[in-house]
Amino acid sequence: MQSAIEPLRSPGMRDLPPEHMRRFRRIEQAFREELLAWGYEEIRTPTIEYLHLFTSAGTLSPHLLERVYSFLDWDGWSGERVVLRPDSTIPAARFYRERMDGGLAKLFYVQNIFRFAQGDQPRELWQCGAEIYGPSWPAGDVELLSAGRRVLQRLGIADVRVRLSHTGVLRALLARAGFSPEEQVERYDRLLDGDLSAVHEIEERLPELGASLHLLVDLTGTDVGYLDNIRAGFAVAVPEMGPALDELTLVARALAVLECPFEIVMLLARDFEYYTGPVFRFVTPDGTALGGGGRYDALVRRPTGEAVPACGFALFMERVGALLPEPEPERGGVVYVEPAAVTPESMGLALAMAEQLQEAGFCAELVGSRRRPACRWVLTVDAAGGPHRYRLHDLDSGEQLTAASMDVIFATLGRGRC
Amino acid sequence: MLKLAVPTGDLRAAVARVLTAAGLRCDEYAAGSRALRLRLSERADVALRVFREKDIPIQVALGNYDLGICSAAWVAELQARYPQDDVMLLRPLDFGHHHLVVAAAPETLRRRGPVRGWAGARGVRIVSEFPGLAERFARRMRLARYVVLPVWGAAEAYPPEDADLAVLAVQDEAEVVAAGLEPVYTIMDGSAWLIGSRRSLAARDLSPVLGPLLRLPGPEGSHRAPAFPRAAWAPGEPSPRPATTPLPHVAAGAGEEVGVRASALVRLALPDGHAQRHTYAALRDAGLVFEGYGETTCVRRPVSGIEGLEVKVIRPQDMPQQVALGHFDLAITGRDWLLDHRYQFPSSPVVEVLDLGRSRYTIAAAVSEDVPADTLAGALAYWRAQGRTVIRVASEYPNIADHFARWRHLGRYRIVPVNGASEAFVPEDSEILIEGSETGASFRANRLKVIERVFESTNCVIARAGVTTGPRQALIERLLEQLRSVALTPGKAGADSGPPRQGRGTGRVLPGPAGPGLSRR
Repeated sequence: MQSAIEPLRSPGMRDLPPEHMRRFRRIEQAFREELLAWGYEEIRTPTIEYLHLFTSAGTLSPHLLERVYSFLDWDGWSGERVVLRPDSTIPAARFYRERMDGGLAKLFYVQNIFRFAQGDQPRELWQCGAEIYGPSWPAGDVELLSAGRRVLQRLGIADVRVRLSHTGVLRALLARAGFSPEEQVERYDRLLDGDLSAVHEIEERLPELGASLHLLVDLTGTDVGYLDNIRAGFAVAVPEMGPALDELTLVARALAVLECPFEIVMLLARDFEYYTGPVFRFVTPDGTALGGGGRYDALVRRPTGEAVPACGFALFMERVGALLPEPEPERGGVVYVEPAAVTPESMGLALAMAEQLQEAGFCAELVGSRRRPACRWVLTVDAAGGPHRYRLHDLDSGEQLTAASMDVIFATLGRGRC
Repeated sequence: MLKLAVPTGDLRAAVARVLTAAGLRCDEYAAGSRALRLRLSERADVALRVFREKDIPIQVALGNYDLGICSAAWVAELQARYPQDDVMLLRPLDFGHHHLVVAAAPETLRRRGPVRGWAGARGVRIVSEFPGLAERFARRMRLARYVVLPVWGAAEAYPPEDADLAVLAVQDEAEVVAAGLEPVYTIMDGSAWLIGSRRSLAARDLSPVLGPLLRLPGPEGSHRAPAFPRAAWAPGEPSPRPATTPLPHVAAGAGEEVGVRASALVRLALPDGHAQRHTYAALRDAGLVFEGYGETTCVRRPVSGIEGLEVKVIRPQDMPQQVALGHFDLAITGRDWLLDHRYQFPSSPVVEVLDLGRSRYTIAAAVSEDVPADTLAGALAYWRAQGRTVIRVASEYPNIADHFARWRHLGRYRIVPVNGASEAFVPEDSEILIEGSETGASFRANRLKVIERVFESTNCVIARAGVTTGPRQALIERLLEQLRSVALTPGKAGADSGPPRQGRGTGRVLPGPAGPGLSRR
């Protein structure tokens, strides 16, 4: 039946009902266990940050900046705006710079980000992310890739491919074609959008290219051999591509050793300015990206100005959660403890019994709906009941048991401990 | 009824001509009538509503009006702030040509170099009546750390002392140069446009008005909407987009602070507009006469004639923030603007140091005379009985209005910030108007009644809390002493003092910004 009640929920904002929270916690638990096993430490950054953290080149793209929630805080008379965290990597980088000693740091977080979206599309998104600050190439990249993949495996999402890319390949090509940094971003985005005129424009500027650009932008490689083909086709005309291809080859070969299926797609990451090294995505067979990350060596600097190498990845919790099976209710075999009469003695006894049951590892509640299947047992407590002080009703079997002591009750319940 | 929003101010005469040429004549509008709600002279099915130009795209976007006429710059400003807005640009009109430019003072450019090289600079201050476009410009420039200072007007007066860049709407370059600035970037060129509500255009027959206006001969060139940004740097110059730079806070020391903030002078801000006459009178009575600041005319930088004192004329609305920033030591503004600022920023260091007691008026909550209630509670009960779930509060003081709405438990409400011509918002476009009135005549003329007095405002001297020492403090004390001697107090009413003062707290229902009612949502 359609509700006539006016919706009070703000557009784009989501409630997380119990079944979603069970999924959420399951993802969080799998992620935490995996990252802790790899030696990462958990952090959480504030919901509100200065806007200026996100406005410089190499941070958020102008397109994304159009969608941030920025405002003047109560003490913002200076005119400096703050923002609801639109991204977690940049706050984590700020955290590293302000709180860590400048050495190697391996951090992870589970937190929300806020970006405007049209209509009722989600505006609050949850991410599980991990970052490595400090010298970590290439082991860090491979470690993160593996950790991300194993989180998905822990969750039973096995059919995932890894897509690999490296923005340095196209950056070298566009720079060789004489495009300014701004033009490079614009052409890259056009290529990403399938604008063939951008291909023609580059080819006209670089007639000496050894192969059609379509080899680079239209093909999906499934083997390291694809990278060798690119090297053969473009390395003479654009030798600056070489280091990026070498880095990508190293990561791809490591995945091949792991027998992890991968694809190589040169047009992958939207954040062209942001990434400086290999980039990866975890995608389902239908192309849904469940997460991804890459290397960003130009974003973080020590107070001395020295660049800090960094890489990281994040999983999109909503998309991952959608692939999980309907979770079972967390509780089963709940014991509903009810006093036989509303007397202080019976109430007190019921409360004491519930606490005893909980201390013994059972789920016990005084207030309950007897809803099935969560609630299996009803324990009626009668302070004046003598030999019938405790009466246990098994809702599954219909059996009833009366006892004068809790020992008998515990022995019976032991078969169905929750 | 088809509703058309038209501007007051500079564009009014040209809009009246266009309406007449399209067979949509409105004699009252053409004659400059002060009425804000009008009907076409020969059509009863079209309602005209006169707005400040800036409010027109907002009202059309809200769907309160089907069509409107205003400068493209105000539409661009709305779209910069709300990219998914519901306004459609329909056709340009052959008047109101303007350029939206970024300008800087020559000394700033000499010291800092061309603006295109400012990427990575920190602390850049951009002042504008178009804060959304200024924000977008700063983002495109990839400025490492910047502040945009929204102002009600006179943005050209701020550089170089009080801002590094100004985003201005001008008719030509000469206007920029006349203000002592250099244009450094063109954001867009535009003219007046006919605009429409997407919802109305999709669902209603607007052809009786739309048809004649679209058939008018147009200006040279296409009817394409002005792109943002239309113009880039001067031909041949490198693009404004810098190479990738690192996260600004991480690159400590990489950026350079821009701006000239330290001043050995005492800086005094004086108001233009309606407040000018009262301020001039107070200054004159105190023996403070500044060349270039008269009763009705002024230049932006009057000659102080007092050693160590610098005077600048800006809008009174913008003074609290400027004083908070330390750009001015003293400013003469209305208590209404001070309170609006303090409600927005409770920790602001700006305080009232002297009540001049002039330019007195009451800030009040007014509703339509048709509302059968004499109290706010009664009015709320009436509206709720009518099925209205959202109470709209229109005001030039959005922060006072917001605080009022929370303090008076309006429930679900919406603040409608307006820029003038506000009396006609009630009842069609808002239930409550929070507005200042000296005598109540403007309320009565628009069939409004005061349902609650909010507070009494007079003009006052404001300053930044804290201790200033040395010769500057001595001069500040001297100025305050001279002004204190002419402050009008109860029983000392002057010629311009308005109704007798009834005591500071009379009718005031809002607590002060530090009061218990100021909660953080």
